[in-house]
Amino acid sequence: MKIFMMPPNSLILYDLIERFGHEPLSLMKALRDRVTSNEIEAPPLNVTLDDVKLGLKYAGIEVPSGIRGRLAVYGPLIEQAEAAIFMEDAPYSFGCVGCQRTNELAKLLVRKRKVPILSLEYPSNEEEAKDMVYKVKQFLEGLK
Amino acid sequence: MDKDTETRLIFIAPSSDLTPDRIARFVHNLGNEVTAKETCYGVVLQGPREAVLRTLTEVRKMDPNRIFSKIRAFPAGDIRRCRAHHGSRPGFAQLEKEWKDLCLVESGLVCLERGEVPPEPKRRGKLPVKELKKLIDEVPQ
Repeated sequence: MKIFMMPPNSLILYDLIERFGHEPLSLMKALRDRVTSNEIEAPPLNVTLDDVKLGLKYAGIEVPSGIRGRLAVYGPLIEQAEAAIFMEDAPYSFGCVGCQRTNELAKLLVRKRKVPILSLEYPSNEEEAKDMVYKVKQFLEGLK
Repeated sequence: MDKDTETRLIFIAPSSDLTPDRIARFVHNLGNEVTAKETCYGVVLQGPREAVLRTLTEVRKMDPNRIFSKIRAFPAGDIRRCRAHHGSRPGFAQLEKEWKDLCLVESGLVCLERGEVPPEPKRRGKLPVKELKKLIDEVPQ
């Protein structure tokens, strides 16, 4: 099954989802096509003007263009998602306020799709980590 | 870049005895059509998707619970990201944090391997107001 994850570029979640036999929907894969496209002479590092327009499908015009641009990348992933795993309580160094607001909107869009969701927190000690890995496994096995 | 080409990051958990050099040599010895680039946290693999996945499966066998992997958007050595070309690494703070947490995740995987059911951890509490006031009072005016 295709699993959406939050943060969408998380190493831990990507690895665990793949390890337990599912397909992670990651930001890296979505961006890969953009940064390696031969059709664009100078592949963009960030989103393009078209992306910002595409983002209107997922957020209103009053939402800042940075968030709409990000949602243009996240949106198609959310539409494909058959389940989702959220890891909350990430350190502030994971991104700017724009990233945080995008993540909040993305989580709302996933919740609206009514797919099974597992919400976790970044582990801070061994006990929490054991519990996190166990819950991820139980959740993913339950989806099969 | 070909659609079939995949770039993958291989991370070695801090608790592992393996070194990036050992993994890079191992990958070269496998003889798959895969490029391996040593990094501070592990290895970057690049090549046809199937060959990369085959290589990853072999590499994982070296230390299954301490080797982690995810794909990467930018190709290996891309001048926009490669340090040798003064590229920026905007996502490095996250990679660093998650790399440090890999030894915690490893303990979870070991626990699963043994078939143990971990006890429910204590819920993280919020800082009580009294404690916060105490902290404020401690700060010299």
